Amino acid sequence: MIRLTGMYAHTLQRVTGLGLLLYLFLHVRTIHKLSEGPQAFDEALAFFRHPLFKLGEIALLAAVILHALNGIRITLLDLGHAHGRQASLFWRLTVGAGAVLFLAGAIPMFLFAILKVR
Amino acid sequence: MSSYGVRVARNQGGIGRGYQTFSVELEDRMTVLDALFAVQRDHDPSFTFRCACRVGMCGTCAVSINGIPRLACRTRASSLGAPEIVVAPLPNLPVLKDVAVSMEPFFEQWKRVTPGFRPKHPESKELAIVPASSQYMRMTGGKRDCITCGACFGACGVKATSGEYLGPAAINRALLRLADPRDEAVAPRMKALDSERAGVWRCHTQFNCTAVCPKGISLTDSIVWLKRAMLRRAPFEKLP
Repeated sequence: MIRLTGMYAHTLQRVTGLGLLLYLFLHVRTIHKLSEGPQAFDEALAFFRHPLFKLGEIALLAAVILHALNGIRITLLDLGHAHGRQASLFWRLTVGAGAVLFLAGAIPMFLFAILKVR
Repeated sequence: MSSYGVRVARNQGGIGRGYQTFSVELEDRMTVLDALFAVQRDHDPSFTFRCACRVGMCGTCAVSINGIPRLACRTRASSLGAPEIVVAPLPNLPVLKDVAVSMEPFFEQWKRVTPGFRPKHPESKELAIVPASSQYMRMTGGKRDCITCGACFGACGVKATSGEYLGPAAINRALLRLADPRDEAVAPRMKALDSERAGVWRCHTQFNCTAVCPKGISLTDSIVWLKRAMLRRAPFEKLP
């Protein structure tokens, strides 16, 4: 892979997109369990109480933020704006603002998960 | 003088033979092209690469330097900031020998957009006056300097996966011809550009082409401009 900012952005959008698709399948599959009765649904939810899935939730937050912010960047570029600043848009909007939003969401999620376990 | 390890790709008859490293002494202002000449002169006369003008005008010496397509004659070795210079053939093009590639696939796509000027009034003897202040000149400023080096073609991630894709340089060329108020061949160019498998819609706005263009042409801007013009369903209005 060529090591240029646009390629990083392109790859990030694809990887987070695939991650979100995987989440969507899991989500629909779990919700579908409702049709099999409350017990089946509770059993399905119990599967997600594993600490690993808490980390998964935090990773999901990162994927949503990065995918959404890079999506805004791509929309701006497709509308013909900021072509000369596409790399700066990626590092400042997608990565910079994304990191701030991620920390604002991930820290409470993490603390809440720890407190709940205790 | 600084010492560099020049790691060059070796290839013969379309078969890759790995990389070979040669030690080369270069002055601060010397370029990667000078390094390639030093390899050929001092180490292996059979080492093959392309070059012609040596001043960034012809585009012949485009190669992949440390993973990024660039003109060897315009890339100073000191600007790379590394003691090793890795030189490989341009990606997405068939290798003839060592780092020399065949530009045939590039020009095959180039031909598909009817790159030549097709005058509206071939019989006219009058000079067409296109003022520098006209919309055409302002819009195409900075897009007319393509030297067909193929760096964009080599850097394009879409081209790497789709042999049919026109590539950034051909699309930019089509835009210049379509925007030219003296030109009439709109239909064949639009047909090529609107093709689902080869046209502008394949571009994923990666900006690799723009990032590597040695002439600083915003090729992605040309592609996005065409996409928007085509979506407006007034595929191309000649600019005054």
